[in-house]
Amino acid sequence: MLQKYKSRTALVTASFAVLLLLTMCRKPDAFPSSGYDERLSGGVNTVFDATSHAFSNPYPGLDAAETALHDLGDSKFEATFVTAPAPVNSGLGPLYNNVSCASCHHNDANGEPTAGGPKSALLIRVSMPGQDEHGGPVPVPGFGLQIEDKAPIGKQPEATVDITYNYQTYSFPDGETYELRKPIFTLTNTYTGLPGGYLMSPRVPLPVMGLGMLEAVSENDILANADPDDKDQDGISGRANYVWDPDTKSTRLGRFGWKANVPSILAQVAGALSNDIGITSRLAPIETSYGQPQDDGLKDDPEMPDSVLNAIDFYIHTLSVPARRDVTDPQVVRGKTLFKAATCSRCHLETLSTATDVAFPAISNQRIHPYTDMLLHDMGGSLEDGRPDYLASGAEWRTPPLWGVGLYERVASPAHYMNDGRARTLMEAIMWHGGEAAGAKAYVTRLSKTDRDALIAFLKSL
Amino acid sequence: MKKLPIVLLSVVLLTAGCRKPQTTTTITSDIPPVTTEGSVATTENVLRDFADVLVNPNYRDLQANALLLQQSVTTLGASRTDANLSAAQNAWRLTRAPWENCEAYLFGPVEDQSYDPTMDTWPLDRTQLDSLLASSNNLTLADIDALPDALKGFHAVEYMLFGLGGQQRADSISARDMAYMTSLTQSIANTTTTLRNSWDTTQPGNYTVAIKKAGAGSTIYTNRKAAIQAIVTAMANICSEVGTGKMEEPLGQNGHADSTLDESSFSHNSTTDFTNNIKGIKNVYFCTYNGVAGHSLHDLVAASNKSLDNQITNAIYDAVGSFNTISSHYEIAIYTQRTQIQAVQAKLATLQTLLEDDLNNWVIQNIHD
Repeated sequence: MLQKYKSRTALVTASFAVLLLLTMCRKPDAFPSSGYDERLSGGVNTVFDATSHAFSNPYPGLDAAETALHDLGDSKFEATFVTAPAPVNSGLGPLYNNVSCASCHHNDANGEPTAGGPKSALLIRVSMPGQDEHGGPVPVPGFGLQIEDKAPIGKQPEATVDITYNYQTYSFPDGETYELRKPIFTLTNTYTGLPGGYLMSPRVPLPVMGLGMLEAVSENDILANADPDDKDQDGISGRANYVWDPDTKSTRLGRFGWKANVPSILAQVAGALSNDIGITSRLAPIETSYGQPQDDGLKDDPEMPDSVLNAIDFYIHTLSVPARRDVTDPQVVRGKTLFKAATCSRCHLETLSTATDVAFPAISNQRIHPYTDMLLHDMGGSLEDGRPDYLASGAEWRTPPLWGVGLYERVASPAHYMNDGRARTLMEAIMWHGGEAAGAKAYVTRLSKTDRDALIAFLKSL
Repeated sequence: MKKLPIVLLSVVLLTAGCRKPQTTTTITSDIPPVTTEGSVATTENVLRDFADVLVNPNYRDLQANALLLQQSVTTLGASRTDANLSAAQNAWRLTRAPWENCEAYLFGPVEDQSYDPTMDTWPLDRTQLDSLLASSNNLTLADIDALPDALKGFHAVEYMLFGLGGQQRADSISARDMAYMTSLTQSIANTTTTLRNSWDTTQPGNYTVAIKKAGAGSTIYTNRKAAIQAIVTAMANICSEVGTGKMEEPLGQNGHADSTLDESSFSHNSTTDFTNNIKGIKNVYFCTYNGVAGHSLHDLVAASNKSLDNQITNAIYDAVGSFNTISSHYEIAIYTQRTQIQAVQAKLATLQTLLEDDLNNWVIQNIHD
């Protein structure tokens, strides 16, 4: 008996020692997933807001100074820029696509998939074949890397972007029909001749909420999901893009944009200010019109002070993600099961975790549900743009996050999906999938009407 | 018809007494007043009356006044006299008032279809405006509609009608200026017509149906709580925009005022704009418009949490009343009446917290349909 007690004590001591060792050498085991509330798409940075402003809420825990910085960034994100010289918001253009961040990121989401109008948010990236010194796309002489289709009165925009659609009707095996529209983009009214052989890629904006947490996911965690050579032979690869960062002046993992061609929120902000609005900053100090006849010749660069650039960067870093809705609704639960069964969830990964960031606890160690792996996948010929972007081939696109996708109809109505806004409904978006996602699409095609509705109900709960 | 509380009338009188006199022409509503006496507020009738008693009449007034503005500019074009200029300026102010009121609910078509930036973008792009007027570009309505938002809408008309510092004179308005103004005011009238129609129950796909059918077939609002949250969020947003945006930016921190950041400085109308925004919040909370009242959020909250309702009611009246203390034009007051402005901002901050935290939480916890 005594002996037994003794050994038991020893065992307890030993297990304490093991526990201590484990505590010292490894992070504690993850809290079991059953202990989390799946509605909390953004971890602690989730808001229960399903209104049209659901993407526009700051992190709940910001202190007074952080709130002030967020608010400054917010006002500059909304600000309409005007032609220089001007006392307020000076520096629009001379070449630009729209006048404010918010004009394309309506309610911090996306804008209209049209070009040339005040509400238009679609733009055309262009390049020549080959790679620049950093492995990126080669600018088109006289046009750069983006067609800017607006210019101030008296100056000629680079071109007009014409969009027409080819409509085609398809049907599910049960007879229900759906229509897909394939856009055709043409550049007309160019201010000077476009060289032969140029490549182009249409892009609509992506929502900006939750990006702070996607930036906080560790590189290792992202790369852990990559399978560039499809070693597991499931037909789904997942490749990382590596792109030039104008801030660190180095090549880094690409995280944002339709081609994972942007390394950070800061690079995205500076790039969009410069290319889309014509606002120069520390990271993009030269007007895109430089060397072209549209240039204003003003010595006012950088037009945006660093403090404002940083405020916009912080604003986007600190936008919360809306909570999921109806997660216990049986139809939604069924839809989630189908989402996994169809293997949608292989690329649209439900769960990622943010790394530890002692400098910014709000963003640190969060279990988030962005429904993306942030990696590139071959999406097939129907979506191929033929324009490589760093390591992304013409057919490869980054899995876009699906958090908030169920609110697009309310936040940025009418909703549209895919890189050029061709899909008008979530089902159309699914039906555009091909390449590595061909199997997932085929699975959905075979579903009954009830199950198709359940899948959409699940997506609308995001 | 519900009687408006006495306190409301006295606040209106006080507000009216301390500001420049304004013609208070109101456009007769073409629907009969909703009778609410004796019936209990429900989420259903609150949403119904929000659309019928407030939003639709407010948008109808906006459109009617925008048409008057267009007419007055046409009259000015026919005869460029100081009297006609003054009438056109007044018509601008009268169109501005219902617009600022309805900014308390910037959701639905006004937001989805970007009618707000189409007619109320600030700042004005004066560099381009000057080149446009100096050019020989056509200035038809179609040309104006194709212009960037910063070259059209209320503030472009304001600049043309009032001039820098409000110094415009009828005899300095050129024929080309008139052509521009004529198309600008047509464009505003068209936008307000589209906006009015977007809620008009006689129009297919109108937003009034989306609100009234919340939780009963509305594709936009799957329950009434979502629709009421949209209303509360919009109230909180305009409160924040006035206090921490429109007032704060020209005021600046630590004495660094900048009058170029003042929104309606050509017409000296900024303080009136702010007041009308906050009166818009009052219109929503009490569901009142032009003396007609409907079932309101105030009724719903008062029935369940009288203390919260009292706090919100007091904060609304305090905020609206506090604008009287800013006696100079706002672009001057940011230099000379900073204390008074900051006191108004404090009232707005109190109201904002009550709306965005307390009222929103109340909705989350108490509305279950």
